[in-house]
Amino acid sequence: MSDIVEAKGLTKVYRRGREEIHALRDVDFIVKKGEFASIIGPSGSGKTALLNVLGCLDTPTRGSLRINGIETCGLREHDLVKLRRDNIGFVFQQFYLMPTLTARENIELPLLFSHKNGKGAGIDGILEMVGLSDRGNHLPGQLSGGEMQRVAIGRALINDPKIVLADEPTGNLDSATSHMIFKLFEELNRQGMTLIIVTHNLDLARKAHKMYTLKDGQIEGCEDCSPNTDMMC
Amino acid sequence: MNFLTLAAKNLTRRRGRTGLTIIGVAIAISVLFSLLALNSGYEKELNKEVNSMGVHILAVPKGCPYEAASLIIHGGVIPKYLSATDLDNVTRIPDVELATPMLMHQFMKKDEKTGKSTPHIIYGIKMEDMLQLKPWWKVEGRFLEDNETRVMLVGRDLADKENLSVGQVLPVGPAKEDFTIVGILERTGDQDDQFHFFPLEEAQRVFGKEGKITTIAVKVREVSRISDVSEEMEKVPDIQVVTMTQIMGTIMNLAGSARSLLLTVIAIALIISAFGIINTLLMSVNERTREFGMMKAIGASGSDIGKMVLMETVFITISGGIIGTLAALVGSSLIESFVKGMLPYSPAGSLISFSPELVGFSLAFSLFMGLVCGIYPAFLSSRLSPMEAIRGGME
Repeated sequence: MSDIVEAKGLTKVYRRGREEIHALRDVDFIVKKGEFASIIGPSGSGKTALLNVLGCLDTPTRGSLRINGIETCGLREHDLVKLRRDNIGFVFQQFYLMPTLTARENIELPLLFSHKNGKGAGIDGILEMVGLSDRGNHLPGQLSGGEMQRVAIGRALINDPKIVLADEPTGNLDSATSHMIFKLFEELNRQGMTLIIVTHNLDLARKAHKMYTLKDGQIEGCEDCSPNTDMMC
Repeated sequence: MNFLTLAAKNLTRRRGRTGLTIIGVAIAISVLFSLLALNSGYEKELNKEVNSMGVHILAVPKGCPYEAASLIIHGGVIPKYLSATDLDNVTRIPDVELATPMLMHQFMKKDEKTGKSTPHIIYGIKMEDMLQLKPWWKVEGRFLEDNETRVMLVGRDLADKENLSVGQVLPVGPAKEDFTIVGILERTGDQDDQFHFFPLEEAQRVFGKEGKITTIAVKVREVSRISDVSEEMEKVPDIQVVTMTQIMGTIMNLAGSARSLLLTVIAIALIISAFGIINTLLMSVNERTREFGMMKAIGASGSDIGKMVLMETVFITISGGIIGTLAALVGSSLIESFVKGMLPYSPAGSLISFSPELVGFSLAFSLFMGLVCGIYPAFLSSRLSPMEAIRGGME
């Protein structure tokens, strides 16, 4: 399998006044096509910073990052937008659904930005995939937390991305709903989708192929969670 | 779904705030639209009114030309008089086709029911001359004869207001002499609808102004000779010459300053409204920073976000523009009475003249206002870095 994410020596330094905060320190990170990776670590360990850099929402201070074979460092915002649009789907902890749009319209939103309007059949397929065929015309306010997160996952999938990044996707959900969401991620992965998920939930993180542990901006360990293995990767 | 739908749905999120902003724009556009409608309507009505006098030049006793202009059209008492000699001098000028004397007088009539006295304007006229000047005059009953006594014509509006009819007798003058209404003029749409008309000599007799006249109305053989005749007339002592063009110019000048004041008020209203829109949008942009971050994360470019915010602004201003224009069309009579109260002189007809071009201009102005007001919030939102936006802070 080829590498879809290839990060070398990623460093991210934030400045707060005179203070420098090292969110990432010389991180090497590789995810292969079709792989399911989870990132765990205590608060402030740099999980979200890493995910933001991997998702090209933020630029690294140093290091290099290749997404689907494209070197992202040095790309202009315009090119980063295109890269994100064509390659990456995002799922957030707070869902960030538009309250005035129905579930169907929320899923459709990325098509508007990628100027691919009119993919009605695609939206129906996504609604079915996330188990919301009968809830498409409901507003977010009429949906449960789990349903809202499934809408957000549908929105991340509509542009047919190469990789889905999820930041604490079950952080606002109860454990039963969290398991359902993870089952959905597992199903997506079975269909060939590459997934990188940041989570605090160790049980769920172990459902990934590989579980990376981040501490103080560095990858402290990587555990291969594939069945019948108990190895460090 | 398209950007317009998205922008419209975004605005429904804070309905009260959006509604109030739209009302603010609607008020400003409504007043602007009315003023523009008034601008063209005022000139049109004034022109119509001046032309309806059927004369090219007026001679009045020397005095303030502004006062004379207003009195001639609206009626009133000019406390100075011209004489028969002045009339002869004017008549003798070459190219004068007709010079007819008039006496304008005012008397107070007491309403029997309310007991209130209201001013009435009387014109002493030479009937044949008037019919030459105003060939469009038609009458219910009959016209006057110049040598008749104790008879009068009345204007249509006056007759309707006072419930007057042909054959009715009215007491007139200091001696309360009985005058019979022999005819009621058909509606002319100008100030003639408000006046009483007496044979000239009868008017002079009743009010003790024998041999005196207040105005000489002159019709020139050819319109191109108006300035030459006017120059000749100015050589006659005691008289002030006022051409219709001068009257219009004078009144337009007077009205111009009042309109400038109105325009200033409207400009201030528009500026306040514009800042209201910008404020609303900035608040809205600020509240939705995280949402914009999400949009960027799912593939929106800065220009997509800016376009959406700009569309929201244009949506607000165009909605305000449509509502404001409709409100101005519906409430034009209210606006007209307000504006009439502010102008030093107003023609009798409707001052507000609407046209499709004006509607188009108002809507185009709403669009322009939206674009101007939306630029800054759109620029700010488009510049948000996705990371900072998701964290919830504006750069």
